[in-house]
Amino acid sequence: MTATTQTIEERRSSLKGAWWVTPLLIIFGLAAVFWLVNLVIGGQCDLKFCVPGTLGQALRGATPIAFAALTGVVCERSGIVNIGIEGQMLMAAMVAYAVNVFSFQSFQHMMSPEAAGNLSRFLAIIAGVISSMLLGYLLAVVSIRYKVDQVIGGTVINMLSLGITGYFYRQFLAENIPAGPGTFPILFPSLSNIPIIGPILFAQKPLTYVMLICVVLLNYMIFFTPWGLRLRSVGEHPRAADTLGINVFKTRYNAVVFGSIFAGLGGCWFTLEQVDVFNPQMTNGLGFIGLAAMIFGNWNPFGALAGALIFGLGNSITATVSIFRPDIPSQIPQMLPYILTIIVLTGVVGRSTPPAAENQPYEKQ
Amino acid sequence: MAPALQATGITKRFPGVLANDHVNFTLEKGEIHALLGENGAGKSTLMNILYGLYQPDEGEIAINGALTKIVSPHDAISQGIGMVHQHFMLIPPLTVTENIMLGQETTVESTRFLGEIAVLDRDKVAGRIRQLSREYGLEIDPEAVVADLTVGAQQRVEIVKALYRNADILILDEPTAVLTPQEADDLFITMRSLVKQGKSIIFITHKLREVFAVADRISVMRSGQMVGTVKPAEATQEMLAEMMVGRKVILQVDKEEAHPGQEVLKVEDLRVQDDRDHMVVDGVDLEVCSGEILGIAGVQGNGQTELTEALTGLRKTVSGKIYILGQETSHDNPRQITEEGCSHIPEDRHKHGLVLSFPVRDNLVLNTYYHAPFSEGPELDFATIEHEANELVHTFDVRTPSIETKAGSLSGGNQQKVIVARELSRPVKLLIASQPTRGLDVGSIEFIHRRIIEARDRGAAVLLISAELDEIMSLSDRIAVMYKGQILDILDAKTATREELGLLMAGVVKESANV
Amino acid sequence: MSDTTTALPGPVAAPKKKNRLQQIVDVLWMPTLAVLTSFLIIGIVIWITSGSLETVFKAYNGMIRGALIKERGLSESLVATVPYIFLSLGVAVGFKTGLFNIGVEGQFYIGSVAAAFVGQAITGLPALIHLPLAILAGAAGGAIWAGIPGFLKAKTGAHEVITTIMMNYISFRLVELLVSGPLKDKHSTAVQTAPSQPSAWVWTLYSIPERLKDPLNALGVALFVAFIFYMIGRWLISSTTLKQRFVGARQQNLASLIFGGVIGLISFFVLPLLTSAWWPFQDKYDRLHIGLILAIVAAVVVWWLLWKTSLGFELRTVGANTNAARYAGINITRSIITSMAISGALAGIAGAIEVLGVSACHCLPMFFSSGYGFESIAIALMAKNDPFGILAAAFLWGAIRNGADLMELNSGVSKYIISLIQALALLFVSAPELLRTIWRIPASKGTEGEAVQSTRLGG
Repeated sequence: MTATTQTIEERRSSLKGAWWVTPLLIIFGLAAVFWLVNLVIGGQCDLKFCVPGTLGQALRGATPIAFAALTGVVCERSGIVNIGIEGQMLMAAMVAYAVNVFSFQSFQHMMSPEAAGNLSRFLAIIAGVISSMLLGYLLAVVSIRYKVDQVIGGTVINMLSLGITGYFYRQFLAENIPAGPGTFPILFPSLSNIPIIGPILFAQKPLTYVMLICVVLLNYMIFFTPWGLRLRSVGEHPRAADTLGINVFKTRYNAVVFGSIFAGLGGCWFTLEQVDVFNPQMTNGLGFIGLAAMIFGNWNPFGALAGALIFGLGNSITATVSIFRPDIPSQIPQMLPYILTIIVLTGVVGRSTPPAAENQPYEKQ
Repeated sequence: MAPALQATGITKRFPGVLANDHVNFTLEKGEIHALLGENGAGKSTLMNILYGLYQPDEGEIAINGALTKIVSPHDAISQGIGMVHQHFMLIPPLTVTENIMLGQETTVESTRFLGEIAVLDRDKVAGRIRQLSREYGLEIDPEAVVADLTVGAQQRVEIVKALYRNADILILDEPTAVLTPQEADDLFITMRSLVKQGKSIIFITHKLREVFAVADRISVMRSGQMVGTVKPAEATQEMLAEMMVGRKVILQVDKEEAHPGQEVLKVEDLRVQDDRDHMVVDGVDLEVCSGEILGIAGVQGNGQTELTEALTGLRKTVSGKIYILGQETSHDNPRQITEEGCSHIPEDRHKHGLVLSFPVRDNLVLNTYYHAPFSEGPELDFATIEHEANELVHTFDVRTPSIETKAGSLSGGNQQKVIVARELSRPVKLLIASQPTRGLDVGSIEFIHRRIIEARDRGAAVLLISAELDEIMSLSDRIAVMYKGQILDILDAKTATREELGLLMAGVVKESANV
Repeated sequence: MSDTTTALPGPVAAPKKKNRLQQIVDVLWMPTLAVLTSFLIIGIVIWITSGSLETVFKAYNGMIRGALIKERGLSESLVATVPYIFLSLGVAVGFKTGLFNIGVEGQFYIGSVAAAFVGQAITGLPALIHLPLAILAGAAGGAIWAGIPGFLKAKTGAHEVITTIMMNYISFRLVELLVSGPLKDKHSTAVQTAPSQPSAWVWTLYSIPERLKDPLNALGVALFVAFIFYMIGRWLISSTTLKQRFVGARQQNLASLIFGGVIGLISFFVLPLLTSAWWPFQDKYDRLHIGLILAIVAAVVVWWLLWKTSLGFELRTVGANTNAARYAGINITRSIITSMAISGALAGIAGAIEVLGVSACHCLPMFFSSGYGFESIAIALMAKNDPFGILAAAFLWGAIRNGADLMELNSGVSKYIISLIQALALLFVSAPELLRTIWRIPASKGTEGEAVQSTRLGG
């Protein structure tokens, strides 16, 4: 009997048609969007500065969303729905901010301010990631060991995070904060002056590049390694994996904690790259938008990146329009990312398939 | 020579039930040993213990004479035990190669230092699969996606999966449940060839016929105990049935002549798609008259499920028409169809038939709660509902502590009785019974069979869909065979033979077919 | 489907009948322990971060005094309870249908905007009509806002967790837009809507005797009293020997209607006189309002809806087993949308009451305290979606929230620590085994309440 040559995975990760269809559609779509935007802002968006600037901003804005989506991909591929990504990012943002500021205090006496800044930011990332992983571990324990419904578990994580960050911020961080070293600088400042591609590719801060590397790395890990094969099997048919000697529980624990690394990095983005202060609830729903990007991307890293870029583009176009058209009340463009998320979810969900064993606690019997 | 496997005194308790009661079981090298017993007898539990999925509370296992502990499937695999489960343990979106190498992945030599994140070597594994495929005559394609494979092919994959792991002992759990009689024969040939190559096989089934075809020895379990072990030559079907059930079993159902009346159900050129948009019902015509039972035989997966769902309004039809008592119901929803007088015993009692977390009382009015006498205005009339529920429980002998007990606490047989009670408590014009006795004990099976025949005798038209050929043959007045979405032929039950039906189920159509 | 591994072969032993007290204890011990444990843990946190045990005592002392003991403490706690009751009832209705309505927050705000609009834009109506109209506007706003994600879920499968959260964020912006734009109060520098007409204000309990002097108001109250006694009549008949006297739903309904009607008629004449002679609520700064009564009535209505009506049966079936619901002929789409609409309506009513009653200007200012949504989910879960349990849990929450102000004043501990208490309480309630582990309680055989099973995120 003959077989189809495309695995379902390959079908999931490619759009239909020849290889040139996808890039063509993208360029076409972008052109249409910018033409529309230009219309709205009365022709003030020219090709040389405005478009690359907007696209660069899109990549920047896509970074936390992509990180959130990557966490979602890893967790859900193992069968664990993680609604708590928002809370994980928020926690990481606060921890990173606190560590950044306070360690800078200690380091700046020992070395040059620049070196101290880099060191404290580096430590801050580690601390932020660890805090996110701890929350992830809690979610794993609650969902796997205590078999609580995973959406409830994620909600608990969100509430804990809101509570902890809200309380600690107001108790300790709201006033009398020493100056921190600020955010990460742009990595390749000289290269970013190259016309057109400069602002897009090179005017970015480190975490954006880390994000792109993570997408590639995760794609490799999920589809080309034993780790990935086991991950997927546990998320699709845990009992089958169990009968082959794979420890379903351990795989899921590892997946959730490992996946939380990305949420941690995403959270760090807020306070180490975007602004160098912490505001309660500064994540503003981006964790949930990341989940939508994950669904849009069919639970694949590259697809998730695509989804994140779309949202990032939506955000950056919103910002551009706001700048050039101050007469439109700011709330209207601010609503757009969320409306876009809903549209994406409704349009896409019908034809996408999540991992089959998602959101079902595994019973060993 | 030491037996390939010897289990002594295996005991396993679950809450409320003693699944295995000091069971002794021996598998000699190179034999096909059939393990017979009705549903719930403890066969699967015993096998799951041998495969390391459960731990016995007491007892010992020896492999090739050496005492050993099997604490996980990993252990079982490393000791040469492979299992093909009743419900396949394959992962649909992955390829055959990926499924087979899962858990024992081969990675590309040069990347091996990366450990778990080394590069998978699919080609090497595919090569080995082809090799095994040739060696044992099990035709499979390593590149195929499991979700696209037929049931028979999936089963071959499962067997190769065990052989890939160098299994010497193969446990096959109800392997023929999903095969046509011809495919089952092919499987038996494969089994004998495996045994000739030095493997030993344990073959679990509840079908009496099969053990005579292929077993070297037959062990019978009942209610968690090992009743006895015999050779096929020394046994008869009646004897084995008695060992299985503990009393004399009447293997044929008593029924009178059918008196078919007017046409109740008419299906014209029906086409229905499954969830993956395949046309699984591809031009079906049938009629069922009142007072007769039309049985639809066929291995699961030939469109019966979707046909039933279309007839009962659970699935949209693509084209074609359905008439119940002259009214077109092709696009009706389940409630409208129920109101036309249709009763439906669904194939999956946990999915469609019951709400397990609701009390028995609520389940008994699941499709009637909204109208009188159970409802008055917006409110439910609990007094009437409880009265009705108590009556039904009594009439249909549902063993439950009370009508407030959650349906999920009942045994499978009693759960099915609740469904049957509910469906037969209304005036039935058309009864659609889909796999009505799957997974039930003999007592419940007899009970439900009797009720179905009673419904027929009271004038209902009955459409019976079942994968158990024996059930179809004993209950039906006419038998239709469904294959790949079409009715190949409709035979008179009195004259149809197993062989005829088996051929049709495998898609072999006679020239003078009467479609 | 072979069930050899999980089925019990014979009848299960019938559970021993427990008396009322035991039943109550069974239900209450776990949430109580959860809350106490949370307080304990947070107490430890305060101890560690402040360095002194005394702070902990001052904090909890302040909280209890603020919530219950001090002047107007109890009534302020009750005022804070009211929105929680409505929101949690809304969440519970959603849960019973298998839906996670985190969007109660957004529905609350949309309801408040709708009510604010109706409250200030329409003039010349008597309170008898204006107040219910404004509240209805709030309900409608919330129902529509929730109905949208409900519709999307039913038709496309878009998971309501994400869509309702998105709707929340959209609602914040929308309300911001409206309050600072078209609905802004032109006579004030503050960014808020115009104050509502007094005829739309939710009455404080203090103001009742004054209000009853208006015969139209007395009529409204009489109708309301009639309704309440109709409910009481139904309950009396069905739970006492009266049920043999009045057989069948029609007779019971009629009898209760007459009973309620008579009492209503009497109260029309008696209440205005009675309240002007004697009325316990004489503190004119007391903000406790009739919304509390509405909330309790709402709890009863929700209970009746879920457990006594065929609609409730349908919603619960859809939540328990959607496939079986479809098989039973239940229209899943309609059920999902109806459930979300009811849920949203309840949230919208809460918003309406806040604007029309609690807010000092009887208008909607631009304040947004987020977190209502998650808190309501916690309350609903703690009460296991039981409407009467929700009354109790909501009061606990409201009391804690109210007491937090005095706690902060007393001890310097930031009042936002209560969100930590809430998060921990939710954690313990949803994973009771954690409590068992902490307190070394052996597992009992009783079920710890039905789990809520949500649907998958995609597909």
